[in-house]
Amino acid sequence: MVMAEGTAVLRRNRPGTKAQDFYNWPDESFEEMDSTLAVQQYIQQNIRADCSNIDKILEPPEGQDEGVWKYEHLRQFCLELNGLAVKLQCPAIDYTRHTLDGAACLLNSNKYFPSRVSIKESSVAKLGSVCRRIYRIFSHAYFHHRQIFDEYEDNLIVPILEEEVQNSVSGESEA
Amino acid sequence: MERAHWEVERAELQARIAFLQGERKGQENLKKDLVRRIKMLEYALKQERAKYHKLKYGTELNQGDLKMPTFESEETKDTEVPAVPQNSQLTWKQGRQLLRQYLQEVGYTDTILDVRSQRVRSLLGLSNSEPNGSVETKNLEQILNGGESPSSKQKGQEIKRNSGDVLETFNFLENADDSDEEEESDMIEDIAEGKEKHRINKKHKIGNEGLAADLTDDPDTEEALKEFDFLVTAEDGEGAGEARSSGDGTEWDKDDLSPTAEVWDVDQGLISKLKEQYKKERKGKKGVKRVNRTKLQDMIADLGDDEIPHIPSGIINQSRSPSSRMTDHEGARAEEAEPITFPSGGGKSFIMGSDDVLLSVLGLGDLADLTVTNDADYSYDLPANKDAFRKTWNPKYTLRSHFDGVRALAFHPVEPVLVTASEDHTLKLWNLQKTVPAKKSASLDVEPIYTFRAHIGPVLSLAISSNGEQCFSGGIDATIQWWNMPSPNVDPYDTYEHGIPTSVDFIGCDPAHMVASFNTGSTVIYDLETSQSVLMLSSQVESGVQSNNHINKVVSHPTLPVTITAHEDRHIKFFDNKTGKMIHSMVAHLDAVTSLAVDPNGIYLMSGSHDCSIRLWNLDSKTCVQEITAHRKKLDESIYDVAFHPSKAYIASAGADALAKVFV
Repeated sequence: MVMAEGTAVLRRNRPGTKAQDFYNWPDESFEEMDSTLAVQQYIQQNIRADCSNIDKILEPPEGQDEGVWKYEHLRQFCLELNGLAVKLQCPAIDYTRHTLDGAACLLNSNKYFPSRVSIKESSVAKLGSVCRRIYRIFSHAYFHHRQIFDEYEDNLIVPILEEEVQNSVSGESEA
Repeated sequence: MERAHWEVERAELQARIAFLQGERKGQENLKKDLVRRIKMLEYALKQERAKYHKLKYGTELNQGDLKMPTFESEETKDTEVPAVPQNSQLTWKQGRQLLRQYLQEVGYTDTILDVRSQRVRSLLGLSNSEPNGSVETKNLEQILNGGESPSSKQKGQEIKRNSGDVLETFNFLENADDSDEEEESDMIEDIAEGKEKHRINKKHKIGNEGLAADLTDDPDTEEALKEFDFLVTAEDGEGAGEARSSGDGTEWDKDDLSPTAEVWDVDQGLISKLKEQYKKERKGKKGVKRVNRTKLQDMIADLGDDEIPHIPSGIINQSRSPSSRMTDHEGARAEEAEPITFPSGGGKSFIMGSDDVLLSVLGLGDLADLTVTNDADYSYDLPANKDAFRKTWNPKYTLRSHFDGVRALAFHPVEPVLVTASEDHTLKLWNLQKTVPAKKSASLDVEPIYTFRAHIGPVLSLAISSNGEQCFSGGIDATIQWWNMPSPNVDPYDTYEHGIPTSVDFIGCDPAHMVASFNTGSTVIYDLETSQSVLMLSSQVESGVQSNNHINKVVSHPTLPVTITAHEDRHIKFFDNKTGKMIHSMVAHLDAVTSLAVDPNGIYLMSGSHDCSIRLWNLDSKTCVQEITAHRKKLDESIYDVAFHPSKAYIASAGADALAKVFV
């Protein structure tokens, strides 16, 4: 909801905010984001703005550390995949859950990723294995539960797009 | 620095609280004062009425005997008579002065009083425009001019004005019909007795008025009451109508005045001239009377356009039509205007009714039971107009709000409440006492206060339970709907509840209740069983900016009847669940307070804020005992929630930075 206090816009989802007003505030340029969580903010902002604009979503801002960029994207990808996992009621449910839980633990590990601002080169290498594992969930859903996959992609704000996975996979190969 | 800022803010708020409390006290005093005054006036009124009745029907003869000689030797005993009225004038003036002072205190300035008396005069002047009256005025003026001292002149005017007022008072107090009738019966009586006698009677009346000190209250009482009339146009119209309807009486009044004035007049020629004219006038009156009345009515009609645009014709008819005549001329009368109210009984109830409206408009509350009754007059009139007590029904409200045929209706067993069922798929609830003034007319409209929506298709039938708490409706959709009746005082345009709910909590010391906070800044306690709101916790500071009133979190104290709210405007506020009053308010953080938690023992309060910090407060002293910077900002948000472990020594916070933290 757009709340004006003086001239400044306060980007807040207060208790009681209507669903349609959630995150309903003007965009902020990446340069203006002074938060330590600027990269996540920026990615989410671009997805909210137009989730089909893959190029825009995937293009890192100038001078952005590539490790952090990939890390934040992978976080977002896992985040979205949680939703798909809910819909997948199949024998692979345990595998799906375990893979996602493992990915979440690793990505939030204080040992490998103590900071979201700078990431060690050794930790960036971990991103590849996370991608490889969660890609299996993704492809399983795509090939065996195409209807659920399409439904999810259509109905959710952020469609899971192959390109994004490709990017992640390529990230893996790079790492 | 921050601290100082808080202090200043706090001092400001406290000053504001003190100011508001003072203001409220003042208002209460004013109200008390008004109640006292009204009671006083009512008392005076009752006394006056009793006196009037006694004068008229009880002790008239005695007084007549006493006065008779005075009158007969009027011309010769000039010197004696003035002594009495002079005294009385003193009391008159004193009384007037006193009441004027009262009225001024209440807020009626001289100007208003003058305007009112001006109006009365203009009304008198209008009745003077009749042939008889004009002559009369001229005479009066001559007399007044001929009068040697300015005081007598003044007195003449005073009496002229006051007697007019007195008559008006009578009209106002009784219903117009009664008064008119009395006047008339008086007249008839007097005429039968002879002109001289009539003069005597009338004169005594005036004389007695002058003598009785209490009487001085009367015109002012009436004025005061009429001031209140101003508040409701319908009332106003009525009052005015009555004032005019007293036109006939006013003429008589003039008759009375002239002899009274004579008392101070030394010019014998003038007196004889006056007598001549008076006799002529008396003769004329008998014949002209009816004509005058119709003339008056025309005049009233004309006046209605010019002066007071809001006179419902029904009221005018009512106030000027004596019931005794009504029965005679029922047919002819009926042609005049549609909303005629015939009987005095009806008139009475109407007056009472409009009083009710008046009172409700004034919001006087406990004054509502201060009604003025006219027992004495009624008991006297009873044999005269038996017919008058037969109830006739007159249209009062038209309920417009349905889109299609109204299939059924039912009244509430007790309240003036009506439910209608319509083919427009709805039922509507009407509170007949909750009226809104219609545009450009004095009539009142009723709007539905609630619409029952559930039927799919026309609603055909309706029944209200004997206790009035439920109603049942049957529809063409083959369903019977069972409704709880809303309170007759619900505001149809009230916002749905109190805004968007933002936070809820159970009341710690009262498991039957819960508390909810809203984005509008209100906090409401609900009964969990009835789901009705029990109490609204009133926060005094109302910020113009909507987001500043926003409450982010409400928590109840685990053991005390205290509710604590966290506000977007950096405040934490404490409320007493019993009174609904705010006990304490403090600027608690540098940014919006988002979360609250009270430790299980009720000693500490924890608050989280978008300023990234958690603070711990001693609930007793309301002082901060610890501050922890716990989370980082994402966008403009930082801490979303805080919690105490119910039995173990843990606290935790949740933040926008995707982290939750636990402290020991």
